[in-house]
Formats: sequence, C-alpha cells, structure tokens
Amino acid sequence: MDDLLADFVAETREMLEASQGEIIAWEADPSDKSRLDAIFRFVHTVKGNCGFFDFPRLERLSHAAEDALSDVRSGRRDSDADLVTAILAIIDRISLMADAIEAGEEFPDGGDDELIAALQPCEHETGVIADHSATADVTQADSENTNSNNKPAQTSGAVTARTIRLPTELLDRVMSGVSDMVLARNDLAHRLQMAGNQPTIDGPFERLTTILADVRDAITRMRMQRIENLFSVFPRLVRDLSNELGKQVLVDFEGGNVELDREMVEMIRDPLTHIIRNALDHGIEPPSDRLKAGKRETGLLSIAARQSGNKISIVITDDGRGLNADKIATKALEAGIVDQPTLSAMSREQVLQLVFEPGLSTADAVSSVSGRGVGLDVVRDNLERVGGTIKVTSTPDQGSLFYLTLPLTLSIISGIIIEQGGEFFAIPQSYVEEVVQMEAETLDFITVGDRGMVTFRGRRVPCLNLADVLGLPDQLEQKQRSAILVRLASGDLIALMADSICNISDLVVKPLPPAIMQTELYGGATQLDDGTPILVLDIPQIALNRNLISDTRAQRIGGLDELEEALEDGIQAMIFVGFDGRKRAMRLDTIQRIESVPASALEVNAGDPRVIIDGQILDLIGLEGASPATEKVKLLRISDGTTELAYAIQQIEDAVVLDDTLTPAKEQDCVEGIVLHEGETITLLDSYAIFAKYGRVAKSKTSLTCQLPDSDWADAILAPLVARCGYTIVSASHDQKPDVHIIMAGDAAKDQPTAGGVIVIQDTPEDGAVHENSVYRYDENALVEALRDARVQALRAAATGKSEEAA
Amino acid sequence: MELLVMIKIDGQRCALRALQVHSVIEIEAITAVPHAPDHILGLCTKRSQTLTVIDCLRAAGKSKQVNPLGKRAAVVEHEGHVYALLVDEVEDVEDSTNEIVAVEGGYGTEWSYLAEGMVETAQGPALLLNIDRLIAGAGGIQKAA
Repeated sequence: MDDLLADFVAETREMLEASQGEIIAWEADPSDKSRLDAIFRFVHTVKGNCGFFDFPRLERLSHAAEDALSDVRSGRRDSDADLVTAILAIIDRISLMADAIEAGEEFPDGGDDELIAALQPCEHETGVIADHSATADVTQADSENTNSNNKPAQTSGAVTARTIRLPTELLDRVMSGVSDMVLARNDLAHRLQMAGNQPTIDGPFERLTTILADVRDAITRMRMQRIENLFSVFPRLVRDLSNELGKQVLVDFEGGNVELDREMVEMIRDPLTHIIRNALDHGIEPPSDRLKAGKRETGLLSIAARQSGNKISIVITDDGRGLNADKIATKALEAGIVDQPTLSAMSREQVLQLVFEPGLSTADAVSSVSGRGVGLDVVRDNLERVGGTIKVTSTPDQGSLFYLTLPLTLSIISGIIIEQGGEFFAIPQSYVEEVVQMEAETLDFITVGDRGMVTFRGRRVPCLNLADVLGLPDQLEQKQRSAILVRLASGDLIALMADSICNISDLVVKPLPPAIMQTELYGGATQLDDGTPILVLDIPQIALNRNLISDTRAQRIGGLDELEEALEDGIQAMIFVGFDGRKRAMRLDTIQRIESVPASALEVNAGDPRVIIDGQILDLIGLEGASPATEKVKLLRISDGTTELAYAIQQIEDAVVLDDTLTPAKEQDCVEGIVLHEGETITLLDSYAIFAKYGRVAKSKTSLTCQLPDSDWADAILAPLVARCGYTIVSASHDQKPDVHIIMAGDAAKDQPTAGGVIVIQDTPEDGAVHENSVYRYDENALVEALRDARVQALRAAATGKSEEAA
Repeated sequence: MELLVMIKIDGQRCALRALQVHSVIEIEAITAVPHAPDHILGLCTKRSQTLTVIDCLRAAGKSKQVNPLGKRAAVVEHEGHVYALLVDEVEDVEDSTNEIVAVEGGYGTEWSYLAEGMVETAQGPALLLNIDRLIAGAGGIQKAA
C-alpha cells in the first residue's frame, strides 16, 4: 500500500480514538460546544484527505457530518440525541471504510444515503431555531472567550510535546538492539575483569555502562504507553452497550497516566473489554430495578489503574447487583466443576472465584453482549499468560469488583538463577514464593508413590525434582539441595528441588526456536553476565504437564485464606537455632534475606564482629563470642529500612505463624517476649531493641555532625579544620540536631538545641577564660582539642543511651 | 550461477547457499538443552546473540556422535531465529557451474531428505543442503514421510 495512504489510515484511526471520549461527553451535555471542536476537526480532516485521495464516498459522508456539526457550532441548530447517534453512525462507517482501505478491499455499496438522511433535523426543530438564536449567540460568545483563553496554552503545549509517528517494528528493532547491547556490555565487562585492571580502558567502559543504562531506561519508556490510550475506547463501548441494553451507565476512569508496556496494553485489551461487557450486561440493573432497590437510576462503572513497584493493578468496579454466589455454586455443581462436599467447605469468596472456571456461565440466556463463547476463563488464561492475576469480590446488591494485576513489562524480568547437575537455569522471580534448604527438618520430604512432597507451613506441597524434570543427574545429597517454592499465577503452590540457588539478576529474555519450545520446558533464553546462554524454565507449563495445576483451584485458595486468616491474628516469624544452641524467633518482616557465606567472610577477632556480603560490610551479631566451626555460616540479613545487620545462626527451623499470646519479657536483652509454639517455648527477639542497640553504633561511628556559625570565615577557614577532625558539616536547616555546635561569642545568646557540646569561638585570645568551652579563633590546638572532647562526649552519650535502652 | 559455501559433513562435500549464511563461527562452549530434539545440541553465543546449535549429521538422522567443541558452524537465520549449523569443515566459497539437478535414485534416505539436489562446482559435485530441513531435523523426516 502507498505510504501516504497508510499515513491517512493511521491518522484517521488516531483522531478517531482521540475523539471517542469527546463524542460521549458531547452527548452527555449537547450544549457543551467546546466538545464539538475535536469531532468537527476529525470529520473535517477526513473530508480534506478524502478529496486528496479520491474517495468520493468517504468525502460525501464526512462532508455531510461536517455540515451538520458546523450548523450546531454556529448555533443554527441544536444538538440532540438523534444527531449524536447519526454522527456516531457516520464516524463508525468512516472507520470501517478506513479498515477496508487498509486491507485493500472494496467496501460494500449502499447505506450511505440513509446515514446522511439521518443527519437532517426533524420538522419540529426548525421552528425552535429562531427562539434559540439569542441564547445560542451568548453561548457562542462564551465559547469564543474560552477559546481565546485556551489557545495560547495549546500552542505552547504543542511546542513542548512534539511527537512523530514511527512504525512499531522499528521501535521493536531498537528495543532488541539495546537489549543486545546490554548483553554485549556484560560480555565485555566479563572479559575486562579477566584481563585485570586497565585504567585506560576501565574509565571509558564505565562511561559506556552509564550511557547504556540511560539509553535502556529511555527505550523502556519508549515502549511504555499510557493506559489512557486503552481507556479512551471504553466510553464509546459503554455508551453503545448501555443503549443496546436500555441501561444508564456512567463510566469513570482513574489513573490514565499509568504507563505500561505497549505489548501489555494489547494483551489486556480483550480481557478488560470482556469484564466491562459483563459488568454492563449482568452487573448493572435496568433503571427501574435500580430505583426499586433504592439506588440512583444511573449505574456507575469505574476503572482505576495504579502502579505499585513493578506491578500494575487495575480495578474495575460496578455498583450493580453483584455476583450471586448461590447461582454460581449451583451452576458449578451442574457443570461438574466441583462436588458437593468441596462446595460446602468453600467460603463465599472462594465460590465467587469459580466464575473463572471454564464452562461456567451464569447468564441464563446468551445475549448479544456477553456469553459469546468467550468466558471469564479465557480472560484469566490470557492474563496468566502474561504473568498477571485476576480476582473477584462482590457484595450482593452493592456491586462487584474485579482486581487485576499485571507485570510492568514483558521483556526484562528479574530472575533467580539455579543450578542443577552442572547446568544453569533461570526462574522468573515473580513466581518464587520462598527458598528453603532441604535440610530444614520441618520441610519433611516424603514420597507418596513416585510423587515427592514437602511440608510447607503445615501443608503438603507437591515437589518436583528438577533432575527428573530435565533428565539431569543429582550432584548433591538430598539434604544439601534447595527447594524453591513456586506460586503459580493460578495460585497453586509447588516445590522445585534443585542443586543450588546461585543469584538473582535482571534477565533479558529472548524467544527460543520452535524445536526447543516444543519440549514445553522452557519459556525463553537469557544470558549470564559472562555471556553463557541459559534457559528460562516455563514453570506453569512444567506444572501443567505434570498435572500439578489443580482443576478446581478453590482448594488451594482455601489454603491461602487459612494462611491469611492466621496472619491477621498471629506474628509471622522465622524460628532458628542460634549459636548458643537456643531456639529463637525473629519477626519475618525484619528479615531481608537468608545468606550463606563462607566463614572467611567473617571478621570476628578484631573488635566488633563484621561480615562481608556482596561487597558490603555489615555488623554481625548473634555469634555470642562463639566462632563458627563450619565452612559456611548462615546469616539472617535484617533491616529496619535504613540500617542493615547480619545475624549469625546455626540453623533455620521454619517460618511459622505464632498465634499464641506473647508473654512480655523485657528484662531479657533484646527479647520481645516468650511465646508457645507447638508445645515449645520460643523466645521472640525484639527487632526494635536489636536495632536500637547495634544499629546506632554503626551509624555514630561513621561520622559526627557539626554545625558551624554562618559566616564566610567559618566556611573558608573553620570548615576544613572541623572536617579534618572527622565531623560532617551540616547546615542550620539540617533536620537532625548536630552533635557539636560551634558558635561565635557574640551569637551565644541564641541557644539552639544540640545533642552534643557547644564550642564558643572568641574573637580575641584574652576572652578565652570568660566562657566555658570557649576558644580563640586562631588557637588551632585548643580548637582541635575542644572538638575531640566533644566527640568523646557525644560517643559517651550514645553509649549511655544505648545501655539505658538495653536495661 | 549461484554463490555457495562449501562445507564437509561426515566426509561428504555439501554446499549451502552463500546468501543464507551470515558468518562462520567456532563453537567455544555449548549450553545443553535437556529434552530438546536429538539434532539440537544446545545453545551458544556469538557476539552476545544466542544461537541454537544444530548437528547436521543428526539432522540427517544419523546417530554418529561428534564433540562439537572447537568445531566450526555456519550461522544462518530461519524464521527470525538464528542457528549455528555444526559442520566438520568450512572449505571455501564457490560458484556453482550448473543448475541444481536431481540424481536418479536419490542419495540414500538420510541425505535425500536434507538435499535439494546436486550442484557442480570447481571442486567437484556437492550436495546442496536445505536449511529448513536441517533445522526441522530428523523429527521432521517422520512428519514428511
């Protein structure tokens, strides 16, 4: 097809999408003439372009619509529902014709005249025009005013936000080019590392790395699209459907500025449309029923998008009649999705999730709107394919809520690298719930027939041995291996047993050729930093092929709920055995990670024990004077958000929920209380006290702060001296109190709050005796001494504070 | 007249269309792909690109084992994926001196599946291999049959 023609079709479509919202808004308030501009511009442009390309039919249609709209704009005619419908019909026809042009097909003849005739005003309206002309003039003047106000803003906006249109293929090529560049950089980095330090190369390479990171960021953003673009088609959909169904629906959007991957937008288009259709068809009642139920005549449909971390959540709510759990239950029984005993054991919430099961439709009659063979099961499958989830909640007669989550992007994911039989594989991190060492007693590996199972938080979870799945040898004893607990998008939990877990990294996932895809084991390929290609495991497919995805997902939803309920009134904690051989528990939310480090990474002999993890030095606690005898030491990496500590442990027992009452035991050092768990008393550590005790020492050691008087002399002469004494200079506006405050003798009157000491600077040497702690401004020795004293004082204050808290 | 890359597989002189061959690489390391079809040896990288390594011999349905490390491979693209076709030797680029001709009675079941026909070159006759079939592999033979 001709490039120009392609541009024409693309432009038509783009303008059409942009004006959808305007059309609906115009219909809602026909007197609002400002809305007309966008629609008018659309038909006008189409008309102009058609003349250029010689599309007489398109031109006639757009011309007629333009005439009618221009009458309304100039006040010669009032807009009404009939006119809106007629204009919409023409716009629809235009878009259909544009599709036909793109496909190079001939659009079927006829129908145009009827559409144009529909634009003609009805008889009675001609009489009214005269009466309205006066008001119309006023409105017009008003709108001109607004126009003149708006115009400068629009022009400046156009300058800042210039856009160009690019073929998506080109974007994809750039995208994959950058991904390849990242891989090439990693490869180069590895080679440079092997070659040793080379300052002349390392510098430019660092620069390249930074630039590449920037470019990657920009490219990722380029792929991003505002979800608005998706939302903009919904008002029209809702309008048409509600007209068809004789319902009144107001649609409300929120979070249109949330951005997500262009591909993702395409993936969720159909699922969202389907849910909206459902809500309108089954959810929102006809106006009469709504009035009877004491609701407003107009139903409300709201679609909100929100970004949280690397997930997007979309919530679709309606205030209709809600889902009928009894009806769903009956249908599910009829369709054989669940049996009666299972059903009776299910909560209402769980019953509701059955709407996502294949073969369940609560619609009694198949209408033209929903029930077209595309069920909510397809919606769920589509979402799960891209790593998303869907849930529904509903209150009878109040409405229902569909909750969708989606990953932000498809191409770069965070993954866990695992090793099995000497080969490496990656698992998308989003699936991984927890990693447990097989040696943990509580994991309790058993075999039932040939099926391995582990016990995880009191539940039997099917366990797959990766060695069996991939036909690779086991290199390690069972006890030394790791189990990865994987939560599938469907909610099923399975355990994967592998030799070891290596690390977590960002992975650029590339597609695999069909011959490898047919193994149904892998989802793609990626490369390690050294350029070694590795395979990304397709966990859902592996689970599916081994029949580990339960047909009735309600069963494991049950498990989930139990856990959630338990969480509500219990403390989620990790039980471990400390170096003194005692069992302790620590709150799970404090624990960042469980690390296993070689004993050589520990520094236990000089002063406070420390450990080096990932190039970071962390204070180490929990050793209690013992020195580890094993080659590897397990550590809990704990954090209060700002400070990180490492807690050395002998062994991890289990992650549990402590639901018994906590008996406070403040008299013990760093202990929050004693709690009974499965007949044993467990000491729960007080994370707060631990950080108060050990966290602050680390901080105060780093540097004390000092506030200087506000003068040029202080900045130029005093500041370097103070800095040399190991202080950090802070400004007066600093949030925290400085440890030491230096003031000029004259300013002494201002007593500002300080945590530590005050040093007064005298202008003359003689005044030295007048004031305690005062120093002559050029007596360097005295100044240094005063600063040292202040430092000792500050440290002592911190130490006493610490022991007070501890006591 | 067509430019051909002359290769040797299991002692047999074969040819690939030069237009289809991107480059020739030496295989340094291979990542195994468990449970992949027999003729897929694994994955390797070329300038940070991931390639699927195909054993041409096994693609022909022969069960001979070769150690791929250090061997050469012709890099070809097929339906958006890049493959490395493992061969014994890459000899030269030659012009074909005649049209592709079929040989009466075929070249034996295995070779017949892979070969498009025979071409004459300055070095003598060679089997012109079909990349699609190499990539589809012996599994494809059963399907085709």
